[in-house]
Amino acid sequence: MILTVADLDVAYGKARAVSGVSLHVAEGEMVFIVGRNGAGKTTLLKTVAGFLAPAAGTVTFDGRVTNGLPAERMAVRGLRYVFQDKRVFSQLTVRENIELAAYPTGVKMAAAIDTVVGIHPGIRRFLDSKAGGLSGGQRQLLLLGRALIGSPKLLLIDEPTEGLAAGTIREVFTVLSGMKGHLSMVIVEQNLPVVSQLADRIYAMREGRILGELTEPADIKDRAKVEAFL
Amino acid sequence: MKTICRFERWRRVDILLVAAAFLLLAPVLSVQRTTDFMIFCIFVLAYDLLYGHMGRLSFGHMLYLGLGAYAAALCAEHLNDNPFFALFAGTLGGALAGVILGPIVVRTTGACFALINLAFNQVGYFLVVAAFAEWTSGENGMSASFAPIGGFDLGNRYLMFGVTLISLLVVVLLMRRLTDSPFGLLLRTIKENERRSIFLGYNTYLYKWLAFTISTAVAGFAGALSSLNYAFVTPSFIDPARSVEVVFAALIGGAGSVYGALVGGVAFMAISNYLPNFVQRWEMFLGVVLLLLVFKFREGIWGYLLRLQTARLGEKSR
Repeated sequence: MILTVADLDVAYGKARAVSGVSLHVAEGEMVFIVGRNGAGKTTLLKTVAGFLAPAAGTVTFDGRVTNGLPAERMAVRGLRYVFQDKRVFSQLTVRENIELAAYPTGVKMAAAIDTVVGIHPGIRRFLDSKAGGLSGGQRQLLLLGRALIGSPKLLLIDEPTEGLAAGTIREVFTVLSGMKGHLSMVIVEQNLPVVSQLADRIYAMREGRILGELTEPADIKDRAKVEAFL
Repeated sequence: MKTICRFERWRRVDILLVAAAFLLLAPVLSVQRTTDFMIFCIFVLAYDLLYGHMGRLSFGHMLYLGLGAYAAALCAEHLNDNPFFALFAGTLGGALAGVILGPIVVRTTGACFALINLAFNQVGYFLVVAAFAEWTSGENGMSASFAPIGGFDLGNRYLMFGVTLISLLVVVLLMRRLTDSPFGLLLRTIKENERRSIFLGYNTYLYKWLAFTISTAVAGFAGALSSLNYAFVTPSFIDPARSVEVVFAALIGGAGSVYGALVGGVAFMAISNYLPNFVQRWEMFLGVVLLLLVFKFREGIWGYLLRLQTARLGEKSR
């Protein structure tokens, strides 16, 4: 397993946001976490990424218990987090955004640019433009491409299609499809058609707990079953 | 959407232009006054690394200038009156302050960062004026005399001008290299969104500490140069009330740019040195300038000029 979460509790002060969550991700698996707003999905991802410290339970990433390991160490170890808000470093150019992602990995700039352009060929003409001028969809594709620099071991992606136009959702879907089977991913998503078509397994969360898990491909492809599962 | 700025093409010769500018200024203002201007520009460059590039506003940067000035003077008095050794001592004094105070200071942001620096500045001022008055001569200040080196006496104003000009050019080159490097890029991302930098794999705490120490070291260097220039050090070199001067200069010139720091340093020194000759309450004029900056010219003089140039180039390309 590339990721194992066991009996995880996460609290904001006295408010418990995640309670007794256990899940696992095998190498190359694409696991989705679905649930309504406020279910604790993002809190779970942030805790796995090292930004929040769990109150109880363990996170084991790539064979090592990583409780207490800060987020920058997790990133160096090969865990990448793509945030929900699609924020890039808007005052820097696209090229500088890529350079920043490449530098800690030791990947050369040319290879890093190739990685990002491989995701979104159209970004090449914006390399020397301020990243803040990109559309929401372009930023999302830049962020996905940036996350792939340096051959990460696990991607955590928070609502990649949220707020995007239909055409851009198709582009993101194509990118994620291309990564399926090659890269381990945990994706928080509320777009059920995307979930149904891509997921290897689905966890449903509500009020900070795991409700259940869908593992059968037939069940996953059945959108009605996924909706009922929620 | 590629934007080209004609000013960028001058970067290969900008050091020569900076040198030429101050060489032309010297006969106009006087050699000694131009030396003052250059020392202040070095201080603004030091400050702008923190404020303009990293986005951390300090209200106590005079502490590091003052530490450098007193370190140089005390070094000359008690250890070695070689002026270059004194410069080293001043720089080291500033750097040590950064190394020691940095771990505390860089954990804070926003108003806390501004005020914690002010608090340390107040402490430093008290130490100079009272606690260590036996060493520093307290409110009276202390003289700083430096030995000539191989026949070169830095008491000669032309020689001092030359040393200061070379020092300024070195600092400009250093700051340009730093801010153009991945390190400078990271500082700007810390300014914009530190959390995202962390998730890319950067230990931002260490980088902030390093930037802080470089800033305090260069401020200390400016302080040591002041010591050499005036051959006298007073508590005004470490006065917290004067910390706002470097903030004004960075804002006037345009924060986040080496050239903005130079323009701001010269502009502020010109206002504070010459305006009192014409306007009794010149500080009120400075207040009006600040209001104009906040409401109309947020990017400062240099930033405004760059924007004009970019807009003109954009029109020409249509």
